[in-house]
Parts: sequence; C-alpha cells; structure tokens
Amino acid sequence: MADILFIGLSLGSILLLIALGLMITYGAMGVINMAHGELVMIGAYTAVWCGLLFDMNMLIAIPVAFVVAGALGLLIERLVIRHLYGRILDTLLATWGIAILIQQAIRLQFGLTFFDVNVPGLGPGLQNLSVPHWLNRPFDVGGFTVQPYRSFIIALTLVLVAVTWWLMYRTRFGIQVRAIMRNPQMAAACGINVKRISALTFAYGSGLAGVAGVMMGGFKTVSPEMGQALVVDGFLVVVVGGVGSLLGTVVAAGGLGEINGVVASITNDILARAVMYGLVIALIMWRPAGLFSFKQR
Amino acid sequence: MRLFSDRHHVAELLAYLAFIAVVLAMPAMMDVFWLNRFAKYLVYGMLGIAIALSWGYAGVLNLGQGLFFGLGAYMVAMSLKLQSYTSLQQGSDRPVPDFMLWNAEPGAPTELCCITPGSWLWLPFQTTWFGIVMAIVVPTVIAYAIGSAIFRLRVSGVYVAIITLALVLLVRLLIIDFQPITNGFNGLTDLGWLTVGGFEFDPYMVETYYLIAVPTIVVLLLARALVATRAGLILQSTRDDANRARYLGFDVAGYQVFFFAVSAAIAGLAGMLYVVAAEFASPTFMDLTFSISMVVWAAVGGRSSLLGAAIGAVLINTIEATASETEMLQESWRAIIGLVFVLVVLFLPRGLAGLSHDIVARLPFGKRRRETAAGAVANPAE
Repeated sequence: MADILFIGLSLGSILLLIALGLMITYGAMGVINMAHGELVMIGAYTAVWCGLLFDMNMLIAIPVAFVVAGALGLLIERLVIRHLYGRILDTLLATWGIAILIQQAIRLQFGLTFFDVNVPGLGPGLQNLSVPHWLNRPFDVGGFTVQPYRSFIIALTLVLVAVTWWLMYRTRFGIQVRAIMRNPQMAAACGINVKRISALTFAYGSGLAGVAGVMMGGFKTVSPEMGQALVVDGFLVVVVGGVGSLLGTVVAAGGLGEINGVVASITNDILARAVMYGLVIALIMWRPAGLFSFKQR
Repeated sequence: MRLFSDRHHVAELLAYLAFIAVVLAMPAMMDVFWLNRFAKYLVYGMLGIAIALSWGYAGVLNLGQGLFFGLGAYMVAMSLKLQSYTSLQQGSDRPVPDFMLWNAEPGAPTELCCITPGSWLWLPFQTTWFGIVMAIVVPTVIAYAIGSAIFRLRVSGVYVAIITLALVLLVRLLIIDFQPITNGFNGLTDLGWLTVGGFEFDPYMVETYYLIAVPTIVVLLLARALVATRAGLILQSTRDDANRARYLGFDVAGYQVFFFAVSAAIAGLAGMLYVVAAEFASPTFMDLTFSISMVVWAAVGGRSSLLGAAIGAVLINTIEATASETEMLQESWRAIIGLVFVLVVLFLPRGLAGLSHDIVARLPFGKRRRETAAGAVANPAE
C-alpha cells in the first residue's frame, strides 16, 4: 500500500509542477494558456538539446529549461496575450493556435521549410533523456523500495512550491501579483505597473512549465505531442483547487494524483484517468469556484 | 424583426442563397473523389453551426462537442458494422462484428447475445433504423441530462468549457477501455454501406453527396429560423446578461438546456452522416484536438453567425486539404494554420462574418442602417 501511495504522490507532484504555472497565469491574469503543455515540451527538448550539444547533465539543464521556457513565455505574452486581457475564452483559442505553432516548429526542427533553419538532433523522432545513474537505482529502506527519481521529483516540487509561496507571499512582487488577482483596475490605480507585473508573472509560470518538462523527460519519451495531454490535467487541478489558490492547487494535485495511483493499482491506467475526470466533473458541479477559493470583489 | 429592411439583411439573404447554390451545384464541378471529401467538410460545417448555436447564441462554449459527434457516429457505425460483409463472412448465421470473433475465447458461442460480456448491447443495432434513430436520440438525451445538471446549478463560462472537456475525454477513455465491445483504439472499421429501402449509398456517389448536403442546408435554415424566434431572442438576452434575463422572469436554464440539446442533436446528425461518407468511427472523434478544432473553425468563420461558422469549417478544411498536398506547404501548413488562427483571434474577433458585415456597412449604396452601440449589441448575430 505504501508503494501505491508513493506512486500516487509522485503523480501528484508532476501534476502540481504543471498546474503551478497554470495556476499563477490563470489566477493572476485570467489567461487560459493552452500552450502551457507546449512550454513543458520545450523544457524537455531543452534538456535533450543540452545533452546533445553540450553534453550537459540533466540537473544542470533544469535552470536552462527554466530560462528558455520563461523567455518564450515572455515572448508569447508580449506578442499575443497582452492584447487579450479580459477576453478569457479568446486567450484559450489564441494559445491553442500558439500551441499548434510551437508543436509544428519543433516537429520541423524550427524549420518552416522556406526559412531553411535546421537544428540537428531535435525533430519528430522520439527522444530519451538519460537520468543520472545515481537517480536510477532503487534501494530498500526497511522493506520499502525507494525510487530515487520519483523522490527527486517530489523534493523538487516541494522546493518550487516553497519558492512560489515565498515569491507570492513574502515579496513586493508577490503583493503586486495578488493585488492584480483581486482587482486589476484598483491595482493599476494604486500605481502598480500591471502590464509589467503580468508579463513577469507569465514568464515565471512558463519557466515552471519548462522545469516540469525536464522532469517529464526522465519519465516519458520526449516528443512534440507530449504537452497536449498534460495541459488538460493541469487545468483540472487548477479549477478543482480554486483559481489562484496555492494551497488549493497543492491539495487538488495531491488528491487527484493519489486517486489516480490507487485506482490504477486496482484496475488500469485508462480507467483511473476516467475516474479522475468523473470526479473532477462532480467536484466542479458541487463547488464551481473550487475547493479553496477566496471571495472575489 | 424587420426582415430585409436594410442592407445587412439583404446581404445575409444573398449569402445564404449563394451558399446553398454552391453546395447544390458542387457535383457539377467535382469528381466523386473530391465530392466525397467535400461531403465530409459539409459535415464539419454542420458542426460549425452546432458550435455557433451554443457558443455564439447561448454563450455556452462547449469544448466537448466531439462527445455528441462521436456518439452519433458510433451509434450508426454499430448498425453499419453489422451490415458489412466482413461480419457476415464469419460462419455464424447472424452477423457478429469481426473483432469480437478475434477476441472471443475458443469455444465461446458466436452469437451477439453472449460472445463477450456486454455484446448483447449490439442486438438492437441489427436493425439499421435503430442505429439511425439512436444517433440523434442518444446525444440529445445525454446533452439534456448534462445541460440540466450544469445550467440548473448555474455553472457558467469557463467552468462549462472545463466540464464538457473533461466529459468528452472521460467517454473517450471508456470507449477505449471497453475494448471487447467497442474495439478500443481501433474503432469500428470495415463498415457496410448505408442501405435505405433497398438503395445502397456508396460513399463515392452523387446521391450520397446529396444525402449529406441536403440535411446540411436544412439544418442551417432551421437553425437560422430557430434563433429568430422568441426563444432565440430570449436566449441572446441570456447570453448578454443572464441575471437581467432572470430578473425579467425568464427560465434562463431552460432555454440554455434546450439550445444545448439542439446543438447536440445537430452534432449527432453530423456524426452519423460523417460515418456514411468516411466508413469508420473511432475514438479520435472524441479527442480534445478535434473538439477544439470545431471551435476554431467557428471562430474563424464568425462565432455568432451560423452561416459564417459553417463556411469557416468548410473553408479551413478545404484549405488544409489543398495545402497538405501542395509540395511547398506540405510540412508547414499546420504551423501556418496555427498562425492564421492566432491572427484571427487577435485582429478579427468576429471572424470572417464580422469582416464581411463591416465591408457591407461601408458599401456606398443602399439604405444605411444607423449603427449605434445599442444596435451593434442587439444584433451581433450577423
């Protein structure tokens, strides 16, 4: 049983890694970023690329992926999202277009054929990310098998949640973000540079997606399509937890991860996901604002 | 409503007539191969109409429209599967789907009643009419049930989108998981042709094209008539301000449920006709990508214009098909579609229909309607 709970916990922490970025952008700016999964994919590809070109360790690739995905997020915010604030369903559609664009760019190795750009080593082929040996050797502690890589993911998630909490609740930046979450007009009237803070928030959320991508790369093969399935699960976590609530997101990710893990051990993976979706639908109907939500306005 | 009293109504009427004329005249312009393709795009056009009804008029963004399309497709595909010669050639006296025989345990009875657990569900589909009727009834009933639950609880906006999205993925997983009776990932293939009154509808035939084109036109006109009724007008007031409509004493949820169900019925019909033209049904109909694509088509065409959404769907799919066969664009067309889509959302939020509306407004002749802010809100449907 402990094994199953542990697997559930690691599933939950991956969900959380993905949901964290979504929670920040959705909660703070009312942007449904369907390209979030593609930012995760970019993070994974960055790690692959680091390994291929610079022979870089996966762990060193984590900050690189954060920067690359964050920069791409900043670019997306500047070019598209900035013009769509307040049109929440339009952000969903526009970012869907961006998602297709990013996916194809990777599949063509950045090369829209007529630009003739080609980056060797990427492309549609499935890639594998090598996890360092010392993270791949399970060991026994009192009859309980510890999976180091899964433990590492859980630990890293905890660190990132702590950093996010600190940023949101203990810094000037965080106060401004939370002010924008509650009431952007009022925040602007109080002299907060809403545009700048929103752009930085979006970049930070995108960076988190990049880190999630590196972690995912150790689990699954890296492919242009890998992001698509993730973004939906991430959204469900955010909505169930309560938009903009860090605590809610953590609880929802943990809960859904555990349910997924436990049901999967009884039946199979497919049915486990189906049960998860069913539960999410019931939860949203029961509490549309999510489990932990603050009163808005 | 003052019909034809200004240039916008005249333009709308002309657009409808032109669309209907082009659709009916298509067999004169294309060979049967392209005609079959175009029939599929018309089915997508029907989906565009369904999306425009629920999104443009009711303000309900359904990201799971593929659920109703897929259910409609599966219902009729089950019937056609039992008509196919692959299932007739299996040695039993009543037809059994071939995949059930492959997966059956040795010595199991080769009857639909009990070849695998749950295979009795297929029994009524031996009558083709049952499949055809269920293709409309099942989506409508399910939409009615879901709609009642969602709208009575006053779930709205993004949350409806998320619920419908989770729902379509849930059903997709169930279909994949119940492999013994649904053939899982592979879906239902090797279907027989639809046979009505002894007449076989070969997918590559002009008659089959009309079997799809005529319902598309009928659905378009009925939907247009529906939104002009009192119920349609109340619905639009609900979209613009649900609370205001509630204060005025309208049963807001009732209207939303009704239009949600109508939209689902159209999607079910579309799914059924798609199977007739494409000869398969698969879980990909319930993929997230497909459901969002429909919304994309409607957005490009114009989310609050029924005809615009239909034309958007037909146009994008035709362009995609052409581009994917042009050598220069073969690899990049998808990326270009993504880019076009971003640009439309940014610069043409009302889609092509909105663009043509603006162009008509600038034309120098005809009676000019006074464009006030109130007028623009009251008539966003053009």
